[in-house]
Amino acid sequence: MQYESQNTARLYFIGAIALFIGQILFGLIIGLQYVIGDFLFPEIPFNVARMVHTNLLIVWLLMGFMGASYYLVPEEAGRELYSPFLAKLMFWVFLIAGALTVIGYLSVPYATLADITGNGILPTMGREFLEQPTITKIGIVIVALAFLYNVGMTVLTGRKTVVSLVLLTGLLGLALLFLFAFYNPHNLVHDKYYWWWVVHLWVEGVWELILAAILAFVLIKTTGLDREVIEKWLYVIIAMTLITGIIGTGHHYFWIGVPGYWQWWGSIFSAMEPIPFFIMTLFAFNAVNKRKREHPNKAAVLWALGTAVLAFLGAGVWGFLSTLAPVNYYTHGTQITASHGHMAFYGAYVMVVLTIISYAVPILRGQEAKSNGMQVMEMWSFWLMSVSMVFITLFLTGAGVVQVYLQRFTDTPQPFMVVQQKMEIFYWLRELSGVIFLIGAILYALSFLPTSTHKQQASTTSA
Amino acid sequence: MSDAIKSERKSLKKDLPEPLPGDLAMWFFIFAELFVFMIFFASYAYARSQNVALFDTYQKTLDRNIGAINTAFLITGSLFVVLSMACIHSGQVKKARGWLVLAEGMGVGFLSLKIIEFSDKLSHGVSLSTNTFYMFYLSLTFFHFLHVILGMVVLGIMIKAMSRIEEFGVHGIESGAAYWHMIDLVWIVLFPLVYVIH
Amino acid sequence: MSEIFTKSMARNIYYGGSAFFILLFLALTFDTHNALPDRDNREALTSQAKAGKDLWEKYDCIGCHTLLGEGAYFAPELGNVYERFGESKEAFIGFMKSRPKDGVPGRRSMPQFNFTDQELDALFEFLKYADGINNENWPPNVQG
Repeated sequence: MQYESQNTARLYFIGAIALFIGQILFGLIIGLQYVIGDFLFPEIPFNVARMVHTNLLIVWLLMGFMGASYYLVPEEAGRELYSPFLAKLMFWVFLIAGALTVIGYLSVPYATLADITGNGILPTMGREFLEQPTITKIGIVIVALAFLYNVGMTVLTGRKTVVSLVLLTGLLGLALLFLFAFYNPHNLVHDKYYWWWVVHLWVEGVWELILAAILAFVLIKTTGLDREVIEKWLYVIIAMTLITGIIGTGHHYFWIGVPGYWQWWGSIFSAMEPIPFFIMTLFAFNAVNKRKREHPNKAAVLWALGTAVLAFLGAGVWGFLSTLAPVNYYTHGTQITASHGHMAFYGAYVMVVLTIISYAVPILRGQEAKSNGMQVMEMWSFWLMSVSMVFITLFLTGAGVVQVYLQRFTDTPQPFMVVQQKMEIFYWLRELSGVIFLIGAILYALSFLPTSTHKQQASTTSA
Repeated sequence: MSDAIKSERKSLKKDLPEPLPGDLAMWFFIFAELFVFMIFFASYAYARSQNVALFDTYQKTLDRNIGAINTAFLITGSLFVVLSMACIHSGQVKKARGWLVLAEGMGVGFLSLKIIEFSDKLSHGVSLSTNTFYMFYLSLTFFHFLHVILGMVVLGIMIKAMSRIEEFGVHGIESGAAYWHMIDLVWIVLFPLVYVIH
Repeated sequence: MSEIFTKSMARNIYYGGSAFFILLFLALTFDTHNALPDRDNREALTSQAKAGKDLWEKYDCIGCHTLLGEGAYFAPELGNVYERFGESKEAFIGFMKSRPKDGVPGRRSMPQFNFTDQELDALFEFLKYADGINNENWPPNVQG
């Protein structure tokens, strides 16, 4: 570790992993509710467990991005963080706001929560992924502004590298686009049109800048390749991302009431969305193959390569499967969508956060890499999580194919609930894969627990 | 270009293929753009095959004369860019700049005629939602229209860069020229496809 | 490879390309807004339907259902439920009132929300409004 203030990242990483485990637990609950319909009913209804599952995902990924920024920005800028105190303070504000929100979800009915938090004054609740009470949303904006100020000042008063500038633009876009979460018109078409400006332009736009910047940083550090080479590829990748992804928003505009031409625009541009992911995969493997040094942290390199591969498979290939309008007409809003969502989020964003944690935490502890044993354990967690996520995706795809055929495609379409029962076997297999995923995640967390050597090191440094 | 580089290129020719003019990053971009237009053209062909009568009927409402003159504008513009590159390679920077300014003029001509054409269509109440033919006509020509504007911005940057060609480098100029040719190429496919073939 | 590949060119393409496509996206957004009055069924967006949307959000219906295909995939699509229920208000209200308070053993069941008659009217108007949006004939059939 070069700068003392990089240590702030540690808090964020711990918080992220804890919430990640929580997210998986709630995923298992809703997965079970798909097959045992009255599980935990009416104490934790499906919609509540689902919003905990998705909101925890968003919050812990944001924590991961913030942690990554606090780690890599000082090193890139060549100076201490502008205000380590503000960074620590904002962590606790964010964590407590998040925890209160989840407690709110779980302890009172959602409608009561809306009343208590004064949703009537500025109604923003009750939309997918944006279920947070309006005051929580305002809190998120405040945390994001403080974070941007802190990181921005560090970058602007220090050395400006491509990695940190791209990261900063991504984070800035993230904060600006979130403002559309406050726009909730009664006109359903307007509502949906701009809702996607938060959701799509986040995950298929600015988040990809953050992803690419973090990945580029880890590759620069672990391969020892010339920064110039990696940075120009970074530009090519994010240029392709935005060129395809901005108009690619159109693939969400097929059936929500906007003009039919979006079917053409959306199909054409989103058909190209796999390209940046493909370049990223080629680039990551090329970089590792041409590496100029052997970094002792093999696990981090494995995560980096895994990110490139699974992001391409999940976001690129599985996204493409149902992105063309004539196909999407049948697959829209089925388990096919769910299958793509799971692997895309895991491959692109979960894995990149796990990559930077894997790379940074040993260094924050004063070593280049963990002991061999702990690295082997971490690699086990990599394979357990990744393989089980591939299976989750395949089983959901199977479920989706059954659903599309019986409910949409056949000459004698059957009602939703009738079809759901016929998909049960896939739901059970998905749940089983989910349990294995949980084991993988726990193993990942355990592989970072302090060992006796760390304690010794800690006592020698403090002495 | 200095004699040293020229002889270096010549010696390279013997054992290696000639390197691409311009920057590889620009070629990625050009490739991506051509790919978009290609899918767009294929989509057009498919949509037309589903409803030939409609496409043929409304194709007749387009002004082919304007389209033909615009084709001439773009091809001439491309020629000027080629002449400009030739001048650069023989070290006549001033002349090179002159050709680029003329090419820019061709772009202005294209845009002006296109604006007349668009405003005529708009005043007749044609929009993206009128029918599938007009959807494709407007989408393709407007998308291309925006590219011409971008291409003219690129030409403008090239003209400015001429004054400090030494630091800017020939290959930056070549990249801009390649982009302009791409816009011309797309139009040469677009014009017959949308305006003429039936 | 003897090609020249510079960082500054890659950067210019990133900035130029992004600006280009943001402008194009805004242009298409502008056209969409102009086309919407004929498509989005705004005549049916009465104050009752608006109250229905507020309820739809307050009770987080999207947490289980989809609406025009967006939402959770745990319960049926509701963008066309007006049609599926035979455009019948009585059928809709009867269904909502008959939800068992303690659920159905072993099966998924919508909670009993104890809506007032006025609220049920509002929800019905909202779903009727949603059904009337011209959304390119999606879903493919009445089952959603």
